Amino acid sequence: MATVSPALHGHDHADSHAHGHHDIGFIRKYVFSTDHKVIGIQFLITTMLMLMVGGALALAVRWQLAFPWENMPILGKIFAGEGGQISPEFYTMLFTMHASVMIFLVIIPILAGAFGNFLIPLQIGADDMAFPVLNMLSYWFMWPAMACFGISFVAGGVTAGPANGWTSYPLLSALVQAAPGSGAAQTWWLIGLTLVGVSSMMGSVNYMTTIINMRAPGMTLFRMPLTIWSMFITAILQAFALPVLTAAGFMLVTDRLLGTVFFIPAGIIVNNAEPTVGGGQPLLWQHLFWFYSHPAVYIMLLPAMGMVSDMLSCMCRKPVFGYKPMVYSMAAIAGLGFIVWGHHMFTSGMNPALGMTFMTSTMMIALPSAIKTFNWIGTIWDGNVKFNAVMLNCAAFVALFIVGGLSGIFMAAVPVDIYFHDTYFIVAHFHYVLFGATLFGVFAGIQFWFPKMFGRLMNDRVAKVHFVLTFIGMNGTFFPMHLLGIAGMPRRYADPYLHPYLEHLLPMNQLMTISAIIMGAAQFLLLGNFFLSILFGEKCGRNPWGANGLEWSAPSPPGHGNFDVPPVCYRGPYEYSSPEAEAMNQDFILQTSPPPAGVSKSTSAHH
Amino acid sequence: MKKFWALFFYFWPIVALYFCWIAPESNWWFPGEAMSPMGVRIESLFYLILWIVAIVFIGTQAALGYALWKSAARDEGQKAWYSHGSHSLELIWTIVPAFVLVFIALYQMDVWAEYRVQSFYPDSTREEGSVAELAARQFEWRIRYPAPGKKLSDEPESDDLYWVNELHVPTGRPVKINLRTQDVQHAFFSPQLRLKQDAVPGLIIPVWFEIPEAGEYDIVCAELCGWGHYKMRAKIVAESEAAYKAYLNRLQDEQNEDGYKAAEEETN
Amino acid sequence: MSLTSNTAHRLIAILVSPILFAGCSDRGDSSFVYSDRTLSLMNEAQTGFKDVKGVRELVDERFGNPQTLVAWQKLPVDFGGIACSVATTPDASAAVKSLQFEFAEGNSVPEKVSSLQFVTGACSGETAAVLKWDAATGTATLVSALQNAPAQGDQVTFDGGSTLKNGRMLYQRHCSHCHGTSGDGNGPTAQYLYPRPRDYRHGVFKFTSTNDTSKASRNDLTRIVKQGIPGTYMPSFLLLNDSDIHAIVEYVRFLAMRGEFERKTASSLASSFSRDAVTSRVKEGEKRAEIVEELKAFIGADLKDELGFISDELAETWSVAQTEEALVTPKIPRVADTIESRRRGRELYLSKTLNCANCHGISGRGDGPQTTDFEKNPVTNELYPEPGLHDVWDNLNQPRNLVYGIYRGGRRPIDLFARIHAGIKGSRMPSFKNVEHEDIWHIVNYVLSVPYEVEPGASASSQAAAPAAAAASL
Repeated sequence: MATVSPALHGHDHADSHAHGHHDIGFIRKYVFSTDHKVIGIQFLITTMLMLMVGGALALAVRWQLAFPWENMPILGKIFAGEGGQISPEFYTMLFTMHASVMIFLVIIPILAGAFGNFLIPLQIGADDMAFPVLNMLSYWFMWPAMACFGISFVAGGVTAGPANGWTSYPLLSALVQAAPGSGAAQTWWLIGLTLVGVSSMMGSVNYMTTIINMRAPGMTLFRMPLTIWSMFITAILQAFALPVLTAAGFMLVTDRLLGTVFFIPAGIIVNNAEPTVGGGQPLLWQHLFWFYSHPAVYIMLLPAMGMVSDMLSCMCRKPVFGYKPMVYSMAAIAGLGFIVWGHHMFTSGMNPALGMTFMTSTMMIALPSAIKTFNWIGTIWDGNVKFNAVMLNCAAFVALFIVGGLSGIFMAAVPVDIYFHDTYFIVAHFHYVLFGATLFGVFAGIQFWFPKMFGRLMNDRVAKVHFVLTFIGMNGTFFPMHLLGIAGMPRRYADPYLHPYLEHLLPMNQLMTISAIIMGAAQFLLLGNFFLSILFGEKCGRNPWGANGLEWSAPSPPGHGNFDVPPVCYRGPYEYSSPEAEAMNQDFILQTSPPPAGVSKSTSAHH
Repeated sequence: MKKFWALFFYFWPIVALYFCWIAPESNWWFPGEAMSPMGVRIESLFYLILWIVAIVFIGTQAALGYALWKSAARDEGQKAWYSHGSHSLELIWTIVPAFVLVFIALYQMDVWAEYRVQSFYPDSTREEGSVAELAARQFEWRIRYPAPGKKLSDEPESDDLYWVNELHVPTGRPVKINLRTQDVQHAFFSPQLRLKQDAVPGLIIPVWFEIPEAGEYDIVCAELCGWGHYKMRAKIVAESEAAYKAYLNRLQDEQNEDGYKAAEEETN
Repeated sequence: MSLTSNTAHRLIAILVSPILFAGCSDRGDSSFVYSDRTLSLMNEAQTGFKDVKGVRELVDERFGNPQTLVAWQKLPVDFGGIACSVATTPDASAAVKSLQFEFAEGNSVPEKVSSLQFVTGACSGETAAVLKWDAATGTATLVSALQNAPAQGDQVTFDGGSTLKNGRMLYQRHCSHCHGTSGDGNGPTAQYLYPRPRDYRHGVFKFTSTNDTSKASRNDLTRIVKQGIPGTYMPSFLLLNDSDIHAIVEYVRFLAMRGEFERKTASSLASSFSRDAVTSRVKEGEKRAEIVEELKAFIGADLKDELGFISDELAETWSVAQTEEALVTPKIPRVADTIESRRRGRELYLSKTLNCANCHGISGRGDGPQTTDFEKNPVTNELYPEPGLHDVWDNLNQPRNLVYGIYRGGRRPIDLFARIHAGIKGSRMPSFKNVEHEDIWHIVNYVLSVPYEVEPGASASSQAAAPAAAAASL
């Protein structure tokens, strides 16, 4: 750390930091805090707990698939009607809420909310977000959202809740009478969804403004770490796509409550209610929903891509291979992401000519993903790899993203998708992307930035055990799903073995459930490691990894206002093992460290 | 330990590939052969993609494993390769996959067009009209045939024939059915035929297929339709033209059953 | 359901338990629930005394519980199993471990036998587990030796109750989440369905081919299981194989008989020994101890006879439903479906004597004046909270909208004929068995034409036909 010589206390520095130091109460400091770091950590802990909730729901789903109609432990006792046997509508609620919790309360907020909040100001050298109060609100809007989801668990009676899948296709979701017990529950669910949307929207406006306006001197766009690029692009995606979902959600709520018929055609009788008056079209919902939810897939992935690029580069002590192609491919994913939503609807009965258009655009969106994968491998290539838990999780990210990406090609091809649509193949695909890629990226990110959050290191040995168990459990759970999909097992079946052609798949499902239990149990290691390390972890300095980013020049943890020395950026973020660094006898060089006299600026500038 | 981790990343794709390799013989594969010509073509497209994907999978995992192995095997303290990338490599791995992807997309258009674009449907299906209406409802498939000798109309007629969960079609020629739903969205999925189509409220969607061999084929629902989604078990019975006609006549007799038992006449 | 082998199951349970903090027990550990009527009795009447059985035990000893079903031979239920007799008297000097059997003609020799029950003879009532079965010689090797020696000609049942057990397992998987473990129509899913799933315990099924006073026949139940009930949440289980459907039907009949038995037994006590009755009797000055003594005496003596009547009647009525005489049989074939016939049918439909329109409405939309009246609950004599017709299960059960062309009991002419002739049991649709069969056919012809033209012969006016046809397509 020879080059880092900041003063230990920031009190004497620039006026812009002064506001961070007047005394504020505990509540303002740690609960209703406007400090982006506190908000980020709040997001992180909340979402990690939600991860466990979502995981428990998934285990309940897996229980039913492995031991259909057997008494379900605990959950069965609480919710089941008779004995411990769960009812089919309870199963429907289980997978609906599993997806909703995981997507809206875990993946999206953990990436944008937790890491976006914590990292953006630190990595661009700002003292906080552009709109700190808005930022605080974006976190506190998560709570009503969670409350709404929570209410939706019980609003429909004991055994039923929102039972329309997270996609909530009408008419099932539009007609209260169509899905048992989903009356008030589904409405609460939709309100919760809207609140999550509000939260995300506040975040994304903030991120865009912050990244555009508040970069430190010298932090040009192409000196930004890929994490920042990914957050920036994600924020743009969110800002443009989310209003569509919010509007659609509102339309669905009014369909349910006020008798509008946006999505309801005429003359439908369900459960002996009055025939619908109609005039609407259920496909409209699918278009609107996927117009958001397809970009949302990238919202759930891009930040992890950016973070992994950062971490891989650091752990391999090597610049990111193809920085600009990485940026451009992310931009391409975001751009193309808006014109591929129809690939969720190949079998929906929309105009078949659209199938061809969407197939082509979907195939094209595979390209930037491929480029990124090749570049990650290029980054590892001939690096000086540190085989710690961060690196292992990043490598797993790449390895599993390849599987998730490749399995997507099957479903991008319309004719093949005719067969695979809504089978377990798609379940395998998106779990490889969302769990295999995103969550492993998140695991890596938690361990990588933990020292910056708390000034201590997480236990690497425990983290490695967690990694191995999760990796094995994850593959054991999700890889066989490809085969189930090929065998034609439709998703969302409470009892697939009712169909003779699926009967023989039971042992495989039991194997998957055991894997899932291992995987779920392993997450207690993560939680334990996380919380115990906050108290007992090995203390560390500003830059335990020897990384280059601006955040590593701030104290660990950074005080209110972040930097004790206002950072100035002199070079790109990935100058590991550069000649410049070597000249200093180290394999990294902080973005803030000024070029030594005599070295011309051009050598350190990013090409 | 470093090498262990590198091997770890070598090892698991091999396990994955092994499972894929033994899957067909372990009965973890398609539910029997594709029983419709369209299904055969869909399956061959699947295998085309499978081979491409398998090559890419092996290539990239091997490269990843090798990259890890290489750095695990290197001497302590040896410096990393300082490189910001390679323009020509970027070009290669942009253009080559682009070609492959465009090829896959273009190669698949025909099958899709024939399956869904009505002007590409076999002429006979357009002349004949639909042989039956398959109407999904929570949680069964209601079937409506026109009376023998008549064409199916979109709306029910008084002499239509009704049955449930068992769709009879003739073999050996393309037949078209009208797919619709009486309540929420469902999807018609026949795993053996490899065909699927959603049934959307308010729409009548014509679906055609051809079954060369007589036999029974599953119909299941592939779009979440409520708590009993998994219960929607039905079958297609494909039979010779004569047997099919006989079936419709039988159905007509059964449907006109008036329960009258004269001494000389034995109904049923 | 033996989807998993037991050992694998245990192993997994052990793996699971530390994580979910609970093990798992066998599927369906639920037991039959008692009806409200039973539960309304005073405690002693429910549980009985030391030497006198209460209602609960009286029911349980005849019907058992899901895990321990009892095959009460008095009931006309096919409990399953293969009847045969002991072929040769075994040597009584040694412990009997192996027995030879012969089958009556027409009974096929089973491939596999896992248990046998002695029906007559020295071992009557005993059940023995079979270790090995040799189908060629008809010889069974038993797991353990018999206490008593059977003799030639003793009646034995192989795998007795197998149909009932199979029925229970299928019922738990396919039916119980709506109809409930006890067949009370109150499974976890039931609360969301309209109409509610059938509560079998009245022994009443709506759509039958039998006349107005008869129970449902096996064929009726089979038909419903196979074809479902359009317009309700009862789906078709057509693709279950015939033996499975048979097992389900037998189990449903078993549950219906159990419910009926319990209901009638409890009823015979209800007037004097229900909680309410006891409270008012005590108020009038009787001592509770005296009432308990009276109950004890009643159960010991009068109820015994009563139970005999109840079970005889049960066996009788359910058997009769299987006979040819119980069927609704039109005396004449269906009248030709002409405009004239339909017009005649419509006249009858609107006539003061039959008064179909009072419920079904003038245009058959199920909106007759009766549907907006408040009815009295015949049992409690209180008004129902919502207007409209109610069935014996106290559920709102409005008359069918004939315009939709959805016929819950089937759309064949004979089905409609039977609906009119025998009425819909348990509902407010009465029997019109005294109406001339020719007139019934006219009404059938009219009703079948309603979805296509409300006014017979009026199809030229598109006004009436168009909405009707649209609705019929639903």
